[in-house]
Amino acid sequence: MPKYLARRLGQSLLTVFLTLTTVFLLVRLAPGDPAAAYAGPTATTADLARIRGEFGLDQPLIQQYGIFLRDLLTGNLGTSYSFRAPALDVVLDRMPYTITLAVAAIAVTAVVAVPLGVWMARRADSKRELGANVLTITGQSMPDFWTGVMLLTVFAVLLPVLPASGFTSWSGLVLPTVTVAILQLALISRLVRREMTTALNSPYITVARSRGFSERALTWRYALGNSGVPLITAIGTRFAALLNGVVVVEVVFGWPGVGSLVVRALETRDYPLIQATVLVTATLAILVQLLVDLAYPLLDPRVRLGKAA
Amino acid sequence: MATDVSPLDGVPLLDVENLQIELITAHGVIRAVDGVSFTVGEGETVTLIGESGSGKSTTAMGVLRLLPEGLAVLSGSVRIAGRDVVADPRAARALRGRTVSLIPQDPMTALSPVHTIGRQLGDALRLRHPGLSRAETRERGTELLAQVHVPRPETRWKAYPHQFSGGMLQRVLIAVALAAEPRLLIADEPTSALDATVQAGVLDLLMELQEVEGIGMLMITHDLGVARVVSDRIHVMKEGRFVESGPAGTIVDRPAEPYTRALLAAVPRLGAWDEDGLTGAVAR
Repeated sequence: MPKYLARRLGQSLLTVFLTLTTVFLLVRLAPGDPAAAYAGPTATTADLARIRGEFGLDQPLIQQYGIFLRDLLTGNLGTSYSFRAPALDVVLDRMPYTITLAVAAIAVTAVVAVPLGVWMARRADSKRELGANVLTITGQSMPDFWTGVMLLTVFAVLLPVLPASGFTSWSGLVLPTVTVAILQLALISRLVRREMTTALNSPYITVARSRGFSERALTWRYALGNSGVPLITAIGTRFAALLNGVVVVEVVFGWPGVGSLVVRALETRDYPLIQATVLVTATLAILVQLLVDLAYPLLDPRVRLGKAA
Repeated sequence: MATDVSPLDGVPLLDVENLQIELITAHGVIRAVDGVSFTVGEGETVTLIGESGSGKSTTAMGVLRLLPEGLAVLSGSVRIAGRDVVADPRAARALRGRTVSLIPQDPMTALSPVHTIGRQLGDALRLRHPGLSRAETRERGTELLAQVHVPRPETRWKAYPHQFSGGMLQRVLIAVALAAEPRLLIADEPTSALDATVQAGVLDLLMELQEVEGIGMLMITHDLGVARVVSDRIHVMKEGRFVESGPAGTIVDRPAEPYTRALLAAVPRLGAWDEDGLTGAVAR
């Protein structure tokens, strides 16, 4: 077990490092000049050259990369061009908002999608289940910016019961959470339905039914118990994705999370800020994935740690 | 042994009369069981034998009302301890796990792979006796495992199904079936998924239990050798109907129907054992 953990952590470090390197190169290959974005349209050529020198962008790429790696080892990810503050601090300031939204959305998703999927599996192919199917497919098909704008129109403009933008009180969390959750729960409930339909048609369910167990016990204890691994995998993967920031939803609702930060960082070609964002979100996503993997042997005794990896 | 034993007053434990089962499939409606009638009394073993698709397993699952709702249509009557489960599916639910138990065909898929043996056996025990404490459940469970000759039952209690062999799993499943303290056991090909060497042990166990507990048993098999050893009466089934019925000895030794003779001819026999073991060890 410790050996497995050490190997997984090593793999994770390597993944983060390769991701950072790729991003380091890609942002510099992309068109656009940070100095021009920083100085504005009235800047002279001399101004631009001075700013490039200040940002260290006048040096050869390989040298910039060397400095980046050296600073990375000391935990220094550079100074954000537009915030004029340590890039890592800027990102970490935004993280609580993104984590709050991600946790709220995934909690709503799990609480609604699991019972909904189980219900759909038990009523498989009935007329009411067909109705639920139509609803979830609709939920899956609605783009989140559209859902967000519709919710805003109804609950912040027509019936002004909820704040439209920003995070000044907890009620500000409701609309972004619902917007994110609608898409996620459409996906997760359909997965739960598929897994539960398979489980409920397994021979061990028929045999357990022959022992006199109630349908409730068969469903929640035996069938759901056997759907644990795919369920946790799906929810974990969705959660990791949400931690990277829900860009569109954050922009629509003016949510001060990492998603809207990334948009600003890209607009201003703020290289250190982009790199810091990638470092933080990639690390979080990989940690969540690691936790999901560590949960497997608890959910399915046939999974043996280390052997599978 | 059962706590709710009511005298049957000559009423058979299982009384099946003119049972018909129609299965709704993608290719239309199939009459899988076409008007069969038979009885099983206390302490009796009655065997339904036939080739694959003859309707014998469908009969067993129909008796337990375990065929998928809406895809199987039953008519006729099936009385278990006097209660008709065809007319009243709720009666079947009340009888399952109490009066009647199933020993399934394939032990490898018959237990939930993510729950321990102890948990599943314990669940079955507590269904029968809801008041049992954790310690009492475990005590009775290990007793049952010992009764079906599972070695080291105390340590096996926390093991998962994939840690058992097929033969041992079938013993565990028999223990789970016995947890219900049933008066009727329905054994659906209990040995066909097992190695030949393990089959004999499981059959011995079933016969031993029947002798000790006086349970009535409905055995489903395609193996006349098995049927000959365990049965009081045999019904030979083909295309949903009984083609021949009678005492085990008569059916095996003096079969009247060509179909029964064909089933008999399909049984492998031990030939002469050659010293070098190269020829004729098993002749078909």
